Amino acid sequence: MVKSLNKSFKKALWVYHINSGSCNGCDIEIIAALCPRYDAERFGIKLVGSPRHADALLVTGPVTRQMVEKVKRAYEQMPDPKAVICVGNCGNTGDVFYESYNLVGPVDNVIPVDVHVIGCPPRPENIINGVAKAWMKLETLETKK
Amino acid sequence: MSEGARLTPEEIIKSFKDIFKTDIKDDRIETHKAGSKKTQFTHIWMCIDRSAFKDAVKHLMKLEKYPHLAVVSGYDMGETINLVYHFSIYFSERGKELSLNITVELPKSEPEIETITDLIPGALITEQEKQEMLGIKVKGIPKDKRAFVSDDFPKGMYPWRKDETGPGKMVRNLHEVKE
Amino acid sequence: MSKKALSKTTYQIPIGPIHPALKEPVQFEFTIDGERIVDVDVSLGHVHRSIEWTGMHRNPIQVLYLAERICGICSYCHPMSFALAVERVAGIEVPERADYLRVIQGELERICSHVLWAGVAAHEIGFDSVLFFTWQIREEALDLTEYLTGNRVTKAITMIGGVRRDITPDMVPRVKKSLDFLKANFEKLRKIYLDDKTFKMRTQGCGVLTKENALKLCACGPTTRASGVKKDVRLDQPYFAFDNLDFDYVTPDVLTGEVNGDVYDRIIVRLLEVKQSIELIEQCLERMPEGPIVSEPKIPKLLATLKKVNGEGIGRMEAPRGEVIHYVKLTGQEFPYCWKVRAPTYNNILPWIPMLLGEQIADIPIVAASTDPCMSCTNRVAIVKDNNRSYLDKETLHKLSVEKTRRLMQ
Repeated sequence: MVKSLNKSFKKALWVYHINSGSCNGCDIEIIAALCPRYDAERFGIKLVGSPRHADALLVTGPVTRQMVEKVKRAYEQMPDPKAVICVGNCGNTGDVFYESYNLVGPVDNVIPVDVHVIGCPPRPENIINGVAKAWMKLETLETKK
Repeated sequence: MSEGARLTPEEIIKSFKDIFKTDIKDDRIETHKAGSKKTQFTHIWMCIDRSAFKDAVKHLMKLEKYPHLAVVSGYDMGETINLVYHFSIYFSERGKELSLNITVELPKSEPEIETITDLIPGALITEQEKQEMLGIKVKGIPKDKRAFVSDDFPKGMYPWRKDETGPGKMVRNLHEVKE
Repeated sequence: MSKKALSKTTYQIPIGPIHPALKEPVQFEFTIDGERIVDVDVSLGHVHRSIEWTGMHRNPIQVLYLAERICGICSYCHPMSFALAVERVAGIEVPERADYLRVIQGELERICSHVLWAGVAAHEIGFDSVLFFTWQIREEALDLTEYLTGNRVTKAITMIGGVRRDITPDMVPRVKKSLDFLKANFEKLRKIYLDDKTFKMRTQGCGVLTKENALKLCACGPTTRASGVKKDVRLDQPYFAFDNLDFDYVTPDVLTGEVNGDVYDRIIVRLLEVKQSIELIEQCLERMPEGPIVSEPKIPKLLATLKKVNGEGIGRMEAPRGEVIHYVKLTGQEFPYCWKVRAPTYNNILPWIPMLLGEQIADIPIVAASTDPCMSCTNRVAIVKDNNRSYLDKETLHKLSVEKTRRLMQ
């Protein structure tokens, strides 16, 4: 996942969100994390509209058959260095949908995941914590180089 | 909204029976109570032969100009596939709505039924769903395509069936640990 | 004139709580002639998780928790409708106090959902600061939800035969404080949405759904009430404690005196419903009697009762977006034989076709958002245009909508 890093992460971490079939509970909490109460934007975390501008990928939902290609494509379009954060129980283990004919497994089966944020849905503080951990992981890898 | 007088549940069933006679196989009226004032409301359940079904819907539209079709449920009974159409009429006045549930039985050897989208355009999505989930054929449906299941799902497999065309092979357990 | 062969151009439409990247997949196909829309086609199913099939392999209590995760925003209505259906089949009587508690939780969820939608609608038009303002109000309602149930979004307060948590008398002052806060801010919301010149310019006359189309296409919820159809399950076929409470159908002529069926009317209906919900919660707190909150507290006994039941039943409820209906057939086994769910959005999607005909592309986000689809959607939209194949992503479409607002403001 990490090739050569010449970007500095001391500034902003831009995040791209993709919903691979979730119930929207996690998506609502992600937006709530950006609203004035929890205010992730003061750390410089911003949601962007295209994976080509993003450093981190937030994935929610168990991956349905229709969304597999789109998740993979979003991951491939992101430039290195990148981190993948899987938000919510559905993407991590399947949650209540553990037996189904239309689901292609937890997100692990589709793209490599760096940070797992659990909860159904996880609280906004937890999500910001997950993004911060991904940020630290990328910065550690940068300083190693 | 209904134009004429509102009929009681018994009168409604009688009006259907007068026209369709033996095509009505089964009917019952259930009354339920809600709240502390114990307001009563009624659910009518009827079972109609499929040859008379579309005319029954036309007759229903005489009782209520625009009946509200909530959804069509379906299940596999082994020999037959049963579809339940959930209508509701007489809304817009407090406490007066009646739910009318019509069951139609389709034999598995010939699971076909006529569409009602020419009478009630809002039935399109639910009819498409029944086609792909139960393997029935809706004759005359305007847009024949898959509503919910993905296009790469195998064609002869019908998720709600309990026989050999069920989704058995496609079911995965997400907890499985890969070797 | 012969028909030209049209190829597809894919657009992405932002619909729902959006901050650029929030998406959920639904696919629409629009046929465009110049700037005007000529035809619309919808294809759903990208969120198909085989819930109804799974429900046939779980016992009724497990199905309650499965039903909660059908949709995160109306996560109270699905298990409640299922519980209503099972109670009607099995003949379980719900105690009176539980009826009032159920109403309170349902109306609280309606407030949260409508205020969420208000923020989204403002974002579609281009006023991001209004999005933050309304979501800040929503945080207060979510705090109240957390105080009463323990969680903000998936509350797990439903039980077949009652509710799981009580509102004791020492909790009531805190509830009243939150309601006062919401009432005070409601006036501000009303002024922003209904009196602002730009909102009126963007939304009046846009996305009109006539009364006849609403009836024919079986629309439900605020979408159909804004077109003048008086349809509300809480009043038509009362459930819980609604037949004891004083309220009436909310249609736009309550405020303005006329019914147009456009986006502005839908905003009116939703804001008035927020006010109505606050009043309903206050009535419930006054009238709630003492008593048990669930008819059978021991779950194994409840499951044993349900294993012997034979029959079918339906449960209907008024969710924030419309009518939710569940059909259950029990045949004396451990698992239900058949379970059918219908979320309100699926009935509200067909009305998009008459609403969007003749509108401009820049109006697609606000019109689609005005029916409050129960999906945070960035819908993938395929537009059939004259042989050019190009991809317009959500940012571009959202930009078009915002630019139109700026043009109108000059």
